[in-house]
Amino acid sequence: MLTGRRGWFGLFSQVLGAMLLVSACGPNAPTTAPPAATTAPAAGVAATTAPAAAAATTAPATAASNTAPVVLKMARNAEPGIFVPWLIDDNTALFTMGNVYDGLVRVTKDGANLEPALATKWDTSPDGLTWTFTLRPGVKFSDGTPLTSNDVKVSLDLARGGTRTVWKDNYKAIKEIQTPDPSTVKILLNQPHAPLLSELAMFPAWVMQADMAKATEAPGYDDANNWASKGTGAYYTTSWKKGDPVILKRNPNYWKNTPAVDEVDIEYIPDDNTRVLKLQGGEDDVVDFVPFSQLDSLNQQPGVHAMNFPIQQTTFVILNVTKPPLDDKNVRQALNYATDKDAIIKSVFFGQAQVMNAPIPMGTYVDKNSPGYPYNLDKAKSLMAASSVPSGFTLPMVVANNNQDRINTAIILKDEWSKIGVNVDVQQVDSATARAAYHGEGNFNSTPSAWTNDMNDPTEIVNYAMRGGEGSGSFAYWTRYNNPELSAKITAADLEQDPAKREADYVAIQRTYLDDAPLVFIANLGATAAWRDNVKGFTIDGLSYYRFEDVTLNK
Amino acid sequence: MRRAAYVRNRLLLMVFVLFGVTIVIFGMVHFLPGDPAAVLLGDRATAQNIADLHEQLGLNRSMPEQYWMFVSGLVQGQMGTSLAFRQPVNQLVLSRVPISIGLAVYAMVLAAIFTLVFGLLAAANKGGWIDQVIRVVFLLILTTPSFWFGILLILTFSLALHWFPVAGFGTTLPEHLWYLFLPALALGLQLAAVLIRNLRSSVILTMRSDYVRTAHAKGLPERMVLMKHVLRNALMSTVTIFGLQFGYLIAGTLVIETVFAVPGLGQLLFTSITSRDYPVVQSITVVAAVMVIVVNLLVDLSYSFLDPRVTYE
Repeated sequence: MLTGRRGWFGLFSQVLGAMLLVSACGPNAPTTAPPAATTAPAAGVAATTAPAAAAATTAPATAASNTAPVVLKMARNAEPGIFVPWLIDDNTALFTMGNVYDGLVRVTKDGANLEPALATKWDTSPDGLTWTFTLRPGVKFSDGTPLTSNDVKVSLDLARGGTRTVWKDNYKAIKEIQTPDPSTVKILLNQPHAPLLSELAMFPAWVMQADMAKATEAPGYDDANNWASKGTGAYYTTSWKKGDPVILKRNPNYWKNTPAVDEVDIEYIPDDNTRVLKLQGGEDDVVDFVPFSQLDSLNQQPGVHAMNFPIQQTTFVILNVTKPPLDDKNVRQALNYATDKDAIIKSVFFGQAQVMNAPIPMGTYVDKNSPGYPYNLDKAKSLMAASSVPSGFTLPMVVANNNQDRINTAIILKDEWSKIGVNVDVQQVDSATARAAYHGEGNFNSTPSAWTNDMNDPTEIVNYAMRGGEGSGSFAYWTRYNNPELSAKITAADLEQDPAKREADYVAIQRTYLDDAPLVFIANLGATAAWRDNVKGFTIDGLSYYRFEDVTLNK
Repeated sequence: MRRAAYVRNRLLLMVFVLFGVTIVIFGMVHFLPGDPAAVLLGDRATAQNIADLHEQLGLNRSMPEQYWMFVSGLVQGQMGTSLAFRQPVNQLVLSRVPISIGLAVYAMVLAAIFTLVFGLLAAANKGGWIDQVIRVVFLLILTTPSFWFGILLILTFSLALHWFPVAGFGTTLPEHLWYLFLPALALGLQLAAVLIRNLRSSVILTMRSDYVRTAHAKGLPERMVLMKHVLRNALMSTVTIFGLQFGYLIAGTLVIETVFAVPGLGQLLFTSITSRDYPVVQSITVVAAVMVIVVNLLVDLSYSFLDPRVTYE
């Protein structure tokens, strides 16, 4: 047994030996190459990145050759919720569904335009009230069932009027959907509605098989069933339960014929640093939400790439314009001029962002020449002097404690705004409490926030953020801003059919809103991701969705 | 006989304690500001959407009614349905209990090994350089934030040495042991830091007892004095702390679970609190309370093995 000092070290070396034994007995430690990847993608599949031609091929994609399946491993920062497109607001589930379901049209990779998806062509009647879509011939769901116009009608009707949908408002222009034949969908509108295509590209309008869609409305329906998905997208799922990785399997019937990756395994790694470490250690091929602070250092390492993709996302501070002295426009403008946005971009986002000059994200009809609020402390001070509170005031700011960027922004604003006599009282609370604060009437004054466009048209953000009073579910992005003249202009812009006039209308709307400053505008943000060298074709599109259909994985 | 009666009484007491726990946790979590329906539906939801979801999820019923539904379900072994995941809570929670217990046991085994080895070593070399080194090293380990300590272990043992994976859980039992080694090590070392200090001072104190003096006077070798006479008596207070730490480990390992992506109860509890998923929060608390009570009962029972003079009234 143990005798004296040698005995103790003997015991300790036995413990160390046991550690080594455990490590040796485990599966082989990962090296730099991902374990399951094999030879180059199957020769039979053309790894094309060209957009789908109008005449789709009807033959199912050639199966991978007889080597082991090509599996892409991804780690991301959250787990999905319910797997039905029109029932949720949860990005993680939506990003997954974007690879499983399609809509009639979809957004191009750069987020700037729309391209055909399940519909190959469409036209509008002269009065703008009837849109006729021709479905792509030969499209099948992942179980081999052919897509028909009935599937489109059932899905869309549930999105715009089902009992569980939360996206009714976005489709209220639609009066009725008709299916004259299995490959034609006719959408009848209440009034002319230019944003219709963008709304159809948006996720609530994705198409599920009619039976599966109807089943979700049954009382007591178990939403776990939705994971046995049958979409028209590049991949499908068979099941999922919390704690497991989400497994996407290649859809052999996919109309675009491209997936070179047979399976995508997406695991949940909540900690930002751990995700990056998993990428560096070779345990994952792709990771999302890479901290801004690590982008440059990752790019300097061999074997990995990191990128900040431009997406339609903004960050700002919400001001409750009914709470004095925030009801004074001079005060709101002063806060804007007193914000050194470059300093925030440098400290909080490590230089990986741009100053927000227009009040909406960089997308369709953004006011490209918007003057914004360039940092000008003197102007801020003179505005405060002319305001109702020339000697300053205390501004409570609620910050959700699960977002370090917003906490850091609040701290910097506290410092910057103190220079004009505004004392920011930062109140860190948990996210549900923060949400209750700005939803309720109470003492809500201000909170940092962010927005990502869900569709490729300004109507969504403009209606959500700028329309106040009646018909506004969000009280103008919780600012309680209510400018009836502006609301009328928004209604007119939504009805305008001529693209050039529409653009002019929205630019004018943005100028007015910018001047009224219910928000403190800070920055345009991108979405970050990183991947290993052997991964090609991974992108995040302008609306922050990632797609795997064009990804290739080399050994 | 007396011991059996003692155990029976303690288990009966457990029922009352659990009842109290359910009242406290139900009250606490329901009086927090924040609405689970609003969290689930996001900012786009209208007041009508939220009201509809309240109806669906049974959140518009009165507090006593909701409490009664929870407790009556619990008694039948049904923990309700998760608001966020729409899955039976039984599935969610009970599938994680073995993971959390496994990690806790693993961490405690490592902690026990380190404690016995280094605690005795330090006590036996009291004042010497070995004692100093051990105390300083473990003080550093104790004061290092567990988050940073975990990442340090990953950088060293996963990225640099490739001995262990970075994070995750694995699918087979050998894989579980392999994946959980680093998180268990991170937890175990920090727990051992406290236990080592306790054991060391406990041993030093016990070494001064009369019977130890007698043993030395009889000429027994040092290791026999330590192992047969001193250790069992010195362990009493250490074992108490050991038991308390185990209780904390069941649901208090959020940071380590997050860093190492271990799907345990700590992480589930944290995300459920954040999303106000009442059934899950309540159920995890009850499950954790049961485990804490059982472990502390085992600790109390172990006293009579360590010290035969301890009896049960």
